[in-house]
Amino acid sequence: MNSFSIRAFIPPLTRRAIPLRTTTTRRYAVQAAGAPSLEIFSQQQKWMQKERAAKNVETSRSVDYLRDEVASRLCERLLDINRHFPHVLDLGANACNLARQLTFPSPDSPDAGPRANRVGKLTAADASETLLYRDADLPFNKEVNIDRQVLKTPETLPYDSNTFDAVLSSLSMHWINDLPSVLAQVNHILKPDSPFIGVMMGGDSLFELRTSLQLAEQDRRGGVATHTSPLADVRDVGGLLQRAGFNLLTVDIDDIVVDFPDTFALMKDLQAMGESNAVISREKGAIHRDVLLAAEGIYRELHGNEDGTLPATFRLIYMIGWKPSPKQAKPLDRGTGMFSIKDFLEKDGKDGSEKS
Amino acid sequence: MPPRTRPIDKLATAAAKCSKEGAIYGKCIVADYNNVHKDKCMTEFLKLKECYLAVYKKR
Repeated sequence: MNSFSIRAFIPPLTRRAIPLRTTTTRRYAVQAAGAPSLEIFSQQQKWMQKERAAKNVETSRSVDYLRDEVASRLCERLLDINRHFPHVLDLGANACNLARQLTFPSPDSPDAGPRANRVGKLTAADASETLLYRDADLPFNKEVNIDRQVLKTPETLPYDSNTFDAVLSSLSMHWINDLPSVLAQVNHILKPDSPFIGVMMGGDSLFELRTSLQLAEQDRRGGVATHTSPLADVRDVGGLLQRAGFNLLTVDIDDIVVDFPDTFALMKDLQAMGESNAVISREKGAIHRDVLLAAEGIYRELHGNEDGTLPATFRLIYMIGWKPSPKQAKPLDRGTGMFSIKDFLEKDGKDGSEKS
Repeated sequence: MPPRTRPIDKLATAAAKCSKEGAIYGKCIVADYNNVHKDKCMTEFLKLKECYLAVYKKR
């Protein structure tokens, strides 16, 4: 019998199985790590998209504009904390955009030297090896002490407790299924009184694309399929951080609007970033051409700028939380206030009205 | 060998040449976007598709 295996012809990308529990080291129990109770995103699909995107180095570098900008803003938030960080983790590092931004001086004080002066060692962790090592031979790697580590899954952090002086995460947490568990693990690996500073896509990101695809599909096919991910809202993030045990929370949002010549350019860029749709309940295969054609017309009509470009909104949610420590500043007890905040604010209001 | 043109690029250039039909179709949908049902703007879409196919085949 002539039997031959077709396995050899399957490209190695599709062959990877994700082992969920491989380590035999004992750790403290954290909330449901490794086996998310609710699976929305296909981690394997996401991994594959990132690997494929990073294989095409030139295209992949050309769409770094969003990640670089966001990473730079995140670095500014890190610098706001007046401290030296000996060991920092960059969780979900993508192409180490944070590391590269750290090697530039801050735009507020260009003479102060690179921002990396405040960071001792940076551990960059990501599940996609190709994307993580994409820029490994560029000169900026010599200017910052960087250690790249490939994670087995983006949702299990193989680090001991009290390891890091800060954990950063830039534009990768919106693909995590079980955010409460990952945030609890982050809290666990931080040293006491250390910050977690993260930024993720959220809220109404890409609402223009979402609505036009929905309208186009409604008209062309009489129903709606999932094309953009469900995203966390600003309201949810505070609760999530609190549930994971963080203190002194700060959550703020930032909208970045990018203008594209047409919807196809937007979709191509998203694909090159490795940010294509990876929702498990998505329709497999490409979007039908009729729908794409219809969505282009609707996008232009509903959201288009006057100069013929199409805006795409990215809403970024920045979050800062501190691991609790007895040394940390605490709110005073109720009733210990020395003067009324009402009087203070009203006084301020009068001053403001006199000025204007 | 010339570099391969991706299908999405062909689609984009063809769609760009049919912007007039695209605008008419878009207006038809947006005019009442709370009440879109299947084939609401069938005639407008067919005109758009006709134009698109003509451009697409020419190349």
